[in-house]
Order: sequence, then structure tokens, then C-alpha cells
Amino acid sequence: MRERPGDNKMKKIYIQEEYCIGCRLCEIYCQVKHSKSKKIIKAFREEKHDILSRVLVEEIGYNSFAIQCRHCEDAPCVDACISGAMQKNKNTGVVICDGDKCVGCWSCIMVCPYGVIRRDVSSRKVASKCDLCVDEDIPECVKNCPNEALKFVEKDKNKEIQVKTKDGSQKLH
Amino acid sequence: MALKLNQPEFEIERDTDKCISCQVCVRQCSNDVHEYDSEQDVIYSDSIKCVGCHRCESLCPAGALKIKEVKSQFRTNYNWTAEHLRNIYKQADSGGVILTGMGCDKPYAVYWDRILFNASQVTNPPIDPLREPMEIKTFIGRKPDNPVFEITGDPCARGVKLKTELYPQLELSTPIMFSAMSYGSISLNACKSLAAAASEFGTYYNTGEGGLHKDLYKYSMNTIVQVASGRFGVDVDYLEKGSAVEIKIGQGAKPGIGGHLPGEKVTGDISDTRMIPEGTDAISPAPHHDIYSIEDLAQLIYALKEATDWSKPVGVKVSAVHNIAPIASGIVRAGADFVSIDGLRGGTGAAPQVIRDNVGIPIELAIASVDDRLREEGIRHRASIIAAGSIRSSADIVKAIALGADAVYIGTAALVAMGCHLCQKCYTGKCNWGIATQDPYLTRRLNPEIGTRRLLNLLKGWSLEIKEMLGGVGINAIESLKGNREHLRGVGLSEKELAILGIKHAGEAW
Amino acid sequence: MEVKNYINRTSEITDYAIIGNSAAGLAAAESIRELDKTGKISILSEEDCRNYSKPLITYLMEGTVSLDKIHFKSKNFYRDNNIDIRLNTRVKSIDINKMSLTCGDGGRYRFKKLLISSGGKPIIPEIKAVCTCINNNCKSSKSNSFCSVNSKNYKDIEGIFTLATLSDALKIKNFIKKNNIREVSILGGGLIGLKSAEAFLEMGMSINIIELADRILTATFDEQASGIIEKRIISKGSNIYKNNTIEEIHVTGKKISGCGLKDGRKIECSLLIIAIGVTPDTGFIKNGALKVNRGIVVDKYMRTSAKNIYAAGDVAEARDILLGEKRCIAIWPLAVRQGSVAGINMAGGDKKYNGGFFMNSVEILDIPTISMGMTNITEEKGKNIEILKDFNPGKNTYKKVVIRDKKIIGVIMAGNIERAGIYAGLIQNEIDISSVKDNILREDFGIVNLPVDYKKHLVSGEGIEI
Repeated sequence: MRERPGDNKMKKIYIQEEYCIGCRLCEIYCQVKHSKSKKIIKAFREEKHDILSRVLVEEIGYNSFAIQCRHCEDAPCVDACISGAMQKNKNTGVVICDGDKCVGCWSCIMVCPYGVIRRDVSSRKVASKCDLCVDEDIPECVKNCPNEALKFVEKDKNKEIQVKTKDGSQKLH
Repeated sequence: MALKLNQPEFEIERDTDKCISCQVCVRQCSNDVHEYDSEQDVIYSDSIKCVGCHRCESLCPAGALKIKEVKSQFRTNYNWTAEHLRNIYKQADSGGVILTGMGCDKPYAVYWDRILFNASQVTNPPIDPLREPMEIKTFIGRKPDNPVFEITGDPCARGVKLKTELYPQLELSTPIMFSAMSYGSISLNACKSLAAAASEFGTYYNTGEGGLHKDLYKYSMNTIVQVASGRFGVDVDYLEKGSAVEIKIGQGAKPGIGGHLPGEKVTGDISDTRMIPEGTDAISPAPHHDIYSIEDLAQLIYALKEATDWSKPVGVKVSAVHNIAPIASGIVRAGADFVSIDGLRGGTGAAPQVIRDNVGIPIELAIASVDDRLREEGIRHRASIIAAGSIRSSADIVKAIALGADAVYIGTAALVAMGCHLCQKCYTGKCNWGIATQDPYLTRRLNPEIGTRRLLNLLKGWSLEIKEMLGGVGINAIESLKGNREHLRGVGLSEKELAILGIKHAGEAW
Repeated sequence: MEVKNYINRTSEITDYAIIGNSAAGLAAAESIRELDKTGKISILSEEDCRNYSKPLITYLMEGTVSLDKIHFKSKNFYRDNNIDIRLNTRVKSIDINKMSLTCGDGGRYRFKKLLISSGGKPIIPEIKAVCTCINNNCKSSKSNSFCSVNSKNYKDIEGIFTLATLSDALKIKNFIKKNNIREVSILGGGLIGLKSAEAFLEMGMSINIIELADRILTATFDEQASGIIEKRIISKGSNIYKNNTIEEIHVTGKKISGCGLKDGRKIECSLLIIAIGVTPDTGFIKNGALKVNRGIVVDKYMRTSAKNIYAAGDVAEARDILLGEKRCIAIWPLAVRQGSVAGINMAGGDKKYNGGFFMNSVEILDIPTISMGMTNITEEKGKNIEILKDFNPGKNTYKKVVIRDKKIIGVIMAGNIERAGIYAGLIQNEIDISSVKDNILREDFGIVNLPVDYKKHLVSGEGIEI
């Protein structure tokens, strides 16, 4: 729909499901990154129940994977946002929720087909979701995955990786 | 319930000031050691289940865990050591054979640590491997008896040409190969990592007795296929896809006995690759039931050569036992192109502990005596010798080659590179590092991308170190080191040990 | 803020005329500008302020949003997109053949393409107003006292408001402040009423909801879900009058002083909000000029029955994928989507609107709720309807899923709305969920529980791009 030039060039977080070990270290480091102190022990001591992880690990049987905001090209959350808080940045392509503008109506939660937006009620009620760690080279979850299951690459590069690891013999799911 | 006399072997020290109850340890321990109490928001650890694999300690984001080997102490008794007592308790409980994994851990002499390597000083200048050519390329296979050369005067080939046709050879970019570890004892991801690393570095890996999985077909240029006593997975295609064939007579960790993979582990992929029905026990009998004499072995060697069109080296793997020298001689005369000798310290996925720790001889002594015997009989050139059984560093490799080996196999070292912490519980199938297990929940933990990278790094680092040591002693080709006992000196060894190793004592000179 | 006054009678010419300055209109304008960098875009709004988000007015009232944050597009939106914005301009009539429209102030526009996104107007019911001044004292006061009021202008009584525009919200806010109001009555326990209720409760006021049906949110919630909310509201000292409506408005002086209910009870009240619903604002469209049912009927390209005229948003009647027919669904996300599609097609692009369905999110006193689609249906001729429910009294959460012929057509979530959007995706894409039916009510129902094919589709491309 609204094609932004270079969306295929934007680096996003992709997961290789077969290497996710369900340790949830991505969730922990995401929490640390979005805490006030940014130090793991202090953050968990003082803010444990207030910091939401923006990445969710889903598990079924021995399969697991981490999922976070896809920063969709045609983001339904941006359309649904009644306050204009949810915007896709024209330069970086990242979809960010402006906490000052957000009123906590949860329309975004209602429309996100991945279900990766969460309700943050630790102070003002605002929507919480992955911001691709814009101030870092590599997002925290990718950096700290002990099994390198999360990758921060462009879309085409990701397809290359998926095909390479399939070895032709692996069935999808 | 009768009183259980077993005791914990490890203690988990959790620094509660650092622990954030994130539960990563709870999730990652396949032995269910850690448990989260949601009411109090703390984690409790049950030490008796801990096997000392360090998975939790490595992944803890707050660095709150430390695993210590802390065993309850008995009254000091040099004869009845704590280990003997514990083993008897275990057997009295279960009535079974005590199993263990990996290599012998008993305090027998480690000869690598008592042999020192030479360096050049004045008489023979050292070489800088980063500035001058240094050849560590190695060829495995039978060398011609009397190579004949022709003088051509062609400056591009140094004016000579080899007229004699060569026997089939394996070309290694470094004298290090990956030892035989079967798919079934280790996970497919581990196999893939070994295969990919071998392929990329220009060396070889060995399928072990578990057959060749179809995902590894693309690495056939770097695969040594093994024909073991159970003949799992052996068919025409299997032999086609190998670059060399290795007949396995024995293994260093369990000389004289076979192997047994329980039926419940023979499912899906394993059943396909080993070519046996699902649910059947995969039993590797102790002898090959068609090899009851050295003549039978010769028959099998030539049968395999015929089946592979005489295009690939066919070799034999044996354990290092007391009479390894004449045994190796017999094997070479039987037509083997290479002889792999696996010493006392060789690793395994599962073996009875009494056999692993009490049967066999150290590889250092085996190599020296085999090399001497074959040279005496004038047949050293007919087969390459590959040393295996706990090569722990590049120094061990250099010493092995100086003692007479052509190349080495690394097994334990490769697994350690991929994450193994030598907890010796491979036989449980609960390897927390995703190596010695088929549990899909655990095998995911070894990402072949990472595994391959780590193995390549190991090979690269060791190869550089070998070059450094060679350069240090003024040698620029590994060929010149082979069997060159002059560059070794023993330290703290008896006359007899020095004699068997064929080396002088440190301090003696020519 | 430019306000142009047209006194002369010559028409202004524009390429794209857009009636309405809200979600649909601005989405259309943005889409048009992306495709057509030079065409003239004129937006006509009957209100006197620049872009603001109508759903935010309740938040403005309760104080979560301040006046300078009420816009949903950037402050320089009109300038950045080169849009000619005309405020205080109500469209009076449209001449379809001449492709022109006339405004209330006499100004005329000739357009090449027109988008009608005039939104909705609140429904004002007819209620009798009754004087309750003591001894009819009012009769002696000025003639424009409201005591002998007729039912048509009761809404001009002080203290009675609709809550549909920014100016309504500001008026109510001032009224509350000026008169120190602590209690408010709300006629209508549906979505608009509840959204206002949400705001008033946040402000710490107590409320009286007067609802015609036997429960609040009757269109979107079932009894159990309504029950959870009703219990909470009542536990905080507010009242809900069910199966009831206002029959009389009691007026003292110029102000409302109370209401007489259908069941005979009388309640005191100094602030009454009329919130029984909205209806599409099509009053300026002459009979027969365009096909109009309840709203302006449009096709999947948002075109009306007249050439070059489009409609989008609350005023349009577009395909409801669950009912299989066209319906006005007056919610923000669909208005934005429809406006965008209309804009693209107006500017020469080719985009279809895939249809929508009703959905709503409202949080009452810390209980978040979401409802989607057809939530109260129990049977339908020729179809197999299955209803799955799970109520957790310990956590006070409720989840209901309505399945028709193996596809989800309705969802209610109360107390826990995590991952609600996954259900919206299943409804929108009409996914057969029979293979995962057993897991649908799980608290942690997630992508991992989705049917394999949809999971692959959701994660675009043929690989596992999650």
C-alpha cells in the first residue's frame, strides 16, 4: 500500500525457529534495556514487575520461537491509533509508539495480527512494543541470544538464510 | 523404600544478591536441578541431580551461579578411595553395569605432559611461519615402494616428473581430522558442524558406526565412512559417498567390547540412517562376525577396495592394546592404507566404566612402538598412522607426529570446542549442550552455524600453533617432523619409558 | 488558521474535494498526495478547528490528553501535504451532474473528484421536558425560559449535552468545573455511552447509566461480559438502570434538575449526556442523488453510485465481511482504511477495500475489554454456530469465541486482552480454525497455536520469517 522506498532494505529481526532454545534471555535483556537503570541486577531488584518485555517467546512442545513487532510496511496499528502516537518513521521504517501521545485505548492491541503489543500499566497507561532498539547497532535481543537464533538482517538476506538452513530436507513446521 | 546411599557430587552456589529469579537456569537444565518457587519468587536447587555440565552457570545473565565439585568426604583411605565406595553403593542399588561417557579420567601418566619439544637456536636457524612458506599439508594413504622419477628439465615442475602411479591418497590441509563419532551417539547438528568445518578447512571427518545421514551427502568429499561390526548403514551408496573407508575393529575407550544403542532411541532418522527397523536395539557385536583372523581382515579390506574400485584408501581402526605393534604390522600387511590407533584416553558416548578406565594403553607409547616396528620391518611407507585418544592441544599433535604419527584424530577436543564440559553423562542422552543427545528439545541448542565456526577456529588456531612450533625448530614441512624423535626429550620418565618412546631424557644431547 | 469568506458567487475549482476533516478525510488526502504530487486538494470542514481525533475527546475531558495533543496528524500536516483546508464550511448541497457543491456560506466548488467523509451525527431522541420550578416561578421570568419547552429543543437546556465533537467535550468540561458536578447521567449504555462513562469514572465522578436493554453494551457483549463490567461499575458506587429509558426531563430554571424514568423512578441529575448512537451525516444529499441506505452505499473501491464521487468512514456503507452485506461500521480503523483506499482510487490508483467488521476496545475501571464481530449470535439458518466460553472467576477474566462453519465470527475478551489482535487476523482472513479449536480459549493462545497454513501466510513469504 504505502510503499516506502527501501522497505526491503530495512533491517528487521528474524528468527530461525529451529535454533530457539526457549531460554527467554531475549525477554530478560529486552526488559533490562527498557528499564530505568539499564543494569540487570538493579533493574530486576527494583522494577521487576514494571518493565515489560517487548519480545514474546512462544512455546509448544519442544518448539519455541521469539516474536516481536514486525514493523509492518502497512501497519494496522498505525491506522488504528486514534491519537497519532503510533507512527512509522519515514527514514528508519521503525514503527514507534510515542508514550506522550498514547492514551491507552488499546486499539493497536485489538488490530495487531501478531499480538505483539502489550498493555503497560506501570504508570500512565500506554501501549508497549518493540522499538528495534533504535539507539543501538544491534537490538538487545539479537545481541544476547545464546544460540544466535535471532538475526538482524534485511528481508532478502533472511530468505537466503532460511533456505540455506533448510538443506532441502527439512519440512516446514 | 530402601535407603539410598548416593550423594551429590556437585554443589550449586547461588549468589542470592545477584540472582534475579529469571528462571533461565530452570528452563535450561535437563536434569531438573533448579525449581522456581512462585510464592517466594526464589529458585531452589537440588544438588544431587547436578551433573556438573555448567549449562546454567554459562547462561545465567547475572553471573549468580557457580558449580563446584564438592563431594562428601570419607575417612582418608588411599586404598578404598571415595570413588570405589560410591561405585559399590551404586551397584548395590541397581545391580547393573556402571556406565560412563567420554575418556578415561584416572591419574595414569599422561606422557604428552612429560615430553618436551625442541627449538632451534644457533646451529639450525628457526623459521618465521608468517613470513616464509610452511607446509603442514599431509597425505594419508599408502606410499609407493620405489618411486621412479623422470628428468624432464621442465622448470615449472622443478625439472622432474613422477612416473610411478600413486595409490589413492587423502589430502589434508592440516594434520588434524575429526574422529569417528556416530550419528546416534551425537546429534545431527553436531555431525553437521563437524562435516561443515572439515569441508571448509580442507580436512576430513568420520561418520562413525551410525551410517551417513542424507543431510551430510554434500560433504562426501570430506567424509571418511566407517564399516563397524554392526555394519550400520553400509551399502553401495555409503561406500560411494565416502572419500575413504575405515574398518573399525576397536575403540580406545572400550577395547574388546561392542556397543549398544537401546531400541527406544532408534527412531525416525536414526533408524533410516542406520538402516534398521525402528525400535530394534542397535547392537554392534564385539568382533566382526566375519573377521576371526588376520586373513579375514585382509579379505574384507580387499573386498572393500574392490567394491570402491580401488579408488579410495581403505584403513583399519584399532584400540591401543598391549601387543599393538605386531597387530599394526599384521594390519599393514593385510593391505590397509592407514591404521588408526585409539589410545587409553579415547572418548565414547557410553562405555562400562571399568573397561574405559582399565583397558588399553596410552597412545603415546602405542605410536612410538608401532612406528618403530613398522620401520624395522621396512613397511612403514605402506600405511599412514593416525593417532587418537585425547589430543588436547597443538603441542600434543606436534609430539604425536614426532613420535611417528602421520596425522591425528580429535574427538573430545572437537566436542569441547562445541560446548562440551566433560560431565561424562553422555549415556543419559540428556546432554544440555545439544551434543550427545537426540532429544529435539536439546539438540536445538547446538546451532550448526556456531558449531562450525568454533571448530574452524580451533583448527585454525591449532594449525597456526603447529606452524609456530615447526618454525621454532627450523623445520618448514611437517614431513620432516614425522618420526623425528630427535626433537623430543622426556622429563621425569624411567629408562624403560624412554626406551619405548625412543627418546632421550631432557638434558641429554647428541 | 485560515478562514476564507466567500461572498462572491464564482466557483472555486479544485481537483479533489473532501468533505470532512477527520480520520477518513485525512487518510484519503494523504494517499492522494502520495500518488498525485501536484493536484489541488481541498478539505471542507464544518468545525472550526484543525485536525483532531474524535475518539480522543473523552480522553480530553478526563484530562489524559491536553488540547495541544489532540491532533492525530502532525501540526503541519496541511502545509506539508499542500492541502487547502477550509474550516467553518458546511456543505449544503451537491450537484452531481455539474460536479459541484455549494456551502452554507454560499461558496461553491467545482471538483474533478469528490470524497464524502462527513462522518456521523449523534442521534437525538424525542423526550418530553417538564418544568419543575416551585410554584411555577419560572412563568414570571423572561420569555426565553425553558419551562414551557417542547420536545424539539430540550437539548438546549443547560446541562444536557451530546458528546460528539471537540467543542462538546470542552463545553462539558467547563460545565463540570463551573458547576462542580460530581455525578453524571448517561442515556445509553452502548459503546458511546460506555466510552463517556470510562472518562467520567476516570475523573472520579459517579455515573448513572440508563439503558434500554437488559444489560449494558448489549450489541457487543453477552450477559456474562456485561455482568463483569456492571459489577465493577456498581461496586464503585455508580448506578445502572437497565430495561429503562428517560421519559421526562425535569427542568428547573434553565437547567436540568432530574429525569423521570420509564419504570416510574425519578433520579436527580444536573448533567445528562445523550449517547444512544450516531447516524451517518447525509442530510446534505438530496433524495435520489446517490444511493443511500442508512449511509452512502459504496463498492469495494469506495465509489458511490455517482461517477467520480466516493465515500468513506462513518458515513459510508461498505462491505461487512461477517454479515456478507453492506453496513455502516463506524469505527476509527475502518474509517482510516476506507479513506486511504478511496484516496488511492481517486488519484488513479487501483486498490480494493477488503471489507471490515465491527470491533471495539474500552477499559472500564481497570478492566480492559475488547469485542469483535458478531458476539451475540446463537444460531443462523443453514450454518453451524458453535460458542466457546471460558470464565475465570479467580482472575475475573472472560473469553468467548463464536465460530460459524469453522471460522471465527465473534470474540469477547474481558479482563485480559493480551494478543487480541490475533483473533482479529483470524476473522479478517476468514481462517478455518477447526484444527486448533481446542486451544482457542487458552489464556496464552498465540501464534504458535495457529493453523500451520495461516501461520505461514502471516509470516510473509515462503520461509519462516516470523
